[in-house]
Amino acid sequence: MSVRFVLRAAERGYSRLPSVGLNASYVAGHPDGVITRHSSFNFHEYQSGIPGLGVLKVFGDEVFSPNGTGYNMHPHHNFIIMAFVLGGALTHINTIGKIDELKRDDYYVFSAGSGGKHSELNIGDQDMNAIYVWVLPGRLLAPPSYRRARFDRKANANRIACLVGDTPGALPIDQTFKVSRLASAAGRTHRWQTSRELGLYAFVLEGKADVAGTTLERRDSMALEDESAVEIAVTADGTDMLLVESRL
Amino acid sequence: MKKYLCLGCGFSYDEALGLPEHGIAPGTRWADIPDDWVCPDCGTPKSGFEMVEIPYYEPARPQ
Repeated sequence: MSVRFVLRAAERGYSRLPSVGLNASYVAGHPDGVITRHSSFNFHEYQSGIPGLGVLKVFGDEVFSPNGTGYNMHPHHNFIIMAFVLGGALTHINTIGKIDELKRDDYYVFSAGSGGKHSELNIGDQDMNAIYVWVLPGRLLAPPSYRRARFDRKANANRIACLVGDTPGALPIDQTFKVSRLASAAGRTHRWQTSRELGLYAFVLEGKADVAGTTLERRDSMALEDESAVEIAVTADGTDMLLVESRL
Repeated sequence: MKKYLCLGCGFSYDEALGLPEHGIAPGTRWADIPDDWVCPDCGTPKSGFEMVEIPYYEPARPQ
């Protein structure tokens, strides 16, 4: 067993992107609109942190202010981009032809492949919070694709549920990579079954848990490697976590 | 011949192909591209690219 790093919530990169000034063409919204982004890994102007974990390159905890804030249409290639909506409503528009609205517990996988643009907007009247995850693909310049699904909180209470990856019911992607979610009451211990070959990244959305003996609180995270199973002891009610397995 | 990927947006540069539409001839080595070159799609600096060993997607051939 090996802990690669522990990253406390406040140690993440922080960017504040107002919709005016240098970002005016990139960030949508009225003049007071703002995006805040806490990055677990190096991303854009934040380059003094951790350079991802294997094929996992971006893990951003973003908040868009209400009434139209977000990212204007902009291009991507290759990256498999996922959004897990935690609160508010996200409008996703892409050049595959999809216009979608995602609310709490909804998530999407957008594979940019040979080229695709997207816009991410909060046209609601409350803050929108989502986790954005970017993963390198197994093959370059594949046909772009978009899929969405919903985390069923009731059906998956107190168990580790796979959202993305090679598991029945999860959204498949062209990479050895999984995202699972654990929503659990306090006092329960879970065994996260995985593979020694994969890098593991555990992120606490809400609540508190001991992961392989390390206490993680809200928005804390840690990475492990060379583990076939990880014990997660939940110590607060309403604990909600994302558990990532990434090819190194 | 190597491939490089922009960590800002995913744009890929292939030494074998170059970027003729941006004035970079096929066969141009990454090291020979100026340090002040930026991603043509998103403006990420050259230093924000990473070498990748990922094969191209190939469509399935009809049987």
